[in-house]
Amino acid sequence: MSLLQVRSVTKRFGGLTAVDDVSFDVHEGAIKAVIGPNGAGKSTLFNVLTSFDRPDEGSVTFDAADIIGWPPQRIVRSGIARTFQNTQLFEEMSALENVMAGAHAVTKAGFFSAALRLPWTVREERDVAEEAGRLLRLVGLGDWADSYAADLPHGLRRLLEIARALATMPRLLLVDEPAAGLNTAETAALADALYRIRDRGVTILIVEHDMGLVMEVSDEIVVLDRGMKIAEGPPRLIQKDPAVIAAYLGEEDVDEL
Amino acid sequence: MGRARIDIRTIVPLALLAVLVFGVPLLSADRYLLKVLTFVGVNVIIVTGMALLFGYAGQVSLGHAAFYGIGAYTSAYVVTSLGWPWLAGVAAAIVLTSVGGLLLALPSLRLKGHYLAMATLGFGEIMRVVFVEARGLTGGPDGFSGIPFPSLVGISIDSAGGNYWLIWGVVTVVLAFSANLVRSRVGRAMRALHGSESGALACGIDLTGLKVRVFVISAALAGLAGALYAHVVGFISPSTFSLHVSVLLVAMAVLGGTRSLAGPVLAAILLTTIPFADAVIPGLSRSALETIQEWQEDVYGLTIIAVMIFVPGGLAGALRRISALGRRAG
Ligand SMILES: Nc1ncnc2c1ncn2[C@@H]1O[C@H](COP(=O)(O)OP(=O)(O)OP(=O)(O)O)[C@@H](O)[C@H]1O
Ligand SMILES: [Mg+2]
Repeated sequence: MSLLQVRSVTKRFGGLTAVDDVSFDVHEGAIKAVIGPNGAGKSTLFNVLTSFDRPDEGSVTFDAADIIGWPPQRIVRSGIARTFQNTQLFEEMSALENVMAGAHAVTKAGFFSAALRLPWTVREERDVAEEAGRLLRLVGLGDWADSYAADLPHGLRRLLEIARALATMPRLLLVDEPAAGLNTAETAALADALYRIRDRGVTILIVEHDMGLVMEVSDEIVVLDRGMKIAEGPPRLIQKDPAVIAAYLGEEDVDEL
Repeated sequence: MGRARIDIRTIVPLALLAVLVFGVPLLSADRYLLKVLTFVGVNVIIVTGMALLFGYAGQVSLGHAAFYGIGAYTSAYVVTSLGWPWLAGVAAAIVLTSVGGLLLALPSLRLKGHYLAMATLGFGEIMRVVFVEARGLTGGPDGFSGIPFPSLVGISIDSAGGNYWLIWGVVTVVLAFSANLVRSRVGRAMRALHGSESGALACGIDLTGLKVRVFVISAALAGLAGALYAHVVGFISPSTFSLHVSVLLVAMAVLGGTRSLAGPVLAAILLTTIPFADAVIPGLSRSALETIQEWQEDVYGLTIIAVMIFVPGGLAGALRRISALGRRAG
């Protein structure tokens, strides 16, 4: 059985159907991409998968559990992590602390044990700091541990958000437009990071407009247009799909397809 | 930052500070000075909770004077009227304010928006009326008098120096626990939710649960401070727990700055001492003091405005810049 099953998910905002009867599967160990023109409903789909939004219809099954209606923190604990199209970093915390915050769901120190500074909480803190350091190195931010997130160059902010998401120990990682605003070298580094993450056993669902990156990294692609799924398949078939080309007509990305 | 290293440069100033704080009653027998500083300690306890609530969890309460009052009246009543031991009175104050805080915070924090500020404002007004009208319990507008001094192991702590030590001992414990807390996983989660609620959700942080817990702690600290105040002063009346005091507490938290305990504590010391300036400035003339007291609200307002304009980040921001300078020099 696939790790994630999306079935007939529909999300409306007033009269607008942002996600319209969308179904697809994500298989364990895969890198799957969700593409589509602006406003196609990609970010809304991510919001539904992580309970930031509640769908009007449909079901989402992750690891055999129906997760619709779970609060976001329960979704994180069950193994789905995400990044945001508009990065949501903790600007006044260091890069290391940002990633350590990501470990919240997999650590235990509570109000009493922390206030009393019980020895096990001190050990837990040390372990979390070490693991956060490893994750920063994994995404190539090893030298930035002590910098405030606000001071990070634009191209590295998305990598920090990915490291923070990994600290939740996810089985499925949702990344929303990680290459936006990155130059060619940074995009190549991002692709490497995605492979390293996949090789650690994390399944990846990626929303991305950079077609070069999408075609390179993904095993399979879902195409949305005005909320509806218009195609699904391996990159080389999607590139030739007439419906996909039509959806992108008039979009600048059409040349890259 | 996760490292349990004891730094000599933080230990030495802290030790000096402790000697200074606890040495005051040995250096001065001035009962007025000791009373003012005891009152400062009471406010430091409340403001520590405000610092956690406002500076770390990003929530505003306009009704903390109500918890302060509930703590004071609870302990005063059960000890004076029911004859409970003093420590049981303090415990009752903490329990009642915790439960009150939970009942107030749960519904208002479940909703998005500024419901907590509104709910606490309303709560403060309701409690103000209760303090005045529930004469049988509170003594009404005339206040509640004859509250016994605190006592430990059967010995009454009735001297100004003894009360000072008691309060500042509690302050030390409260600050030590709070300092541990803000440096922990919990403190990180609080700073995270202050930074980005979406980001915090994505980290698996239960935002509502966290805010409610911090609110309960801040209410309990105000309750604790109220109980201590009641027994140290021996008399309480509704005016001590008015909206005016709630606003002053918020002012201390704002003036102190966010993500800091030291900043709000300094602000509490500063703002609490202003109306009693003659206790710390020996030669201050009577008329100067009267002028200060008359213009107290304006002095507060101007101090806060001046800090907001000239000291970015409040007192906490200033402290951070000084310690950064020290690190560069040393
Ligand atoms: N909270 C909301 N309220 C109302 N409309 C919304 C909301 N969120 C999204 N929408 C609308 O839903 C549609 C889908 O938006 P969404 O952000 O999911 O698109 P997207 O595919 O991620 O686009 P982009 O590539 O520009 O990021 C858009 O028309 C958008 O305006
Ligand atoms: Mg989007």
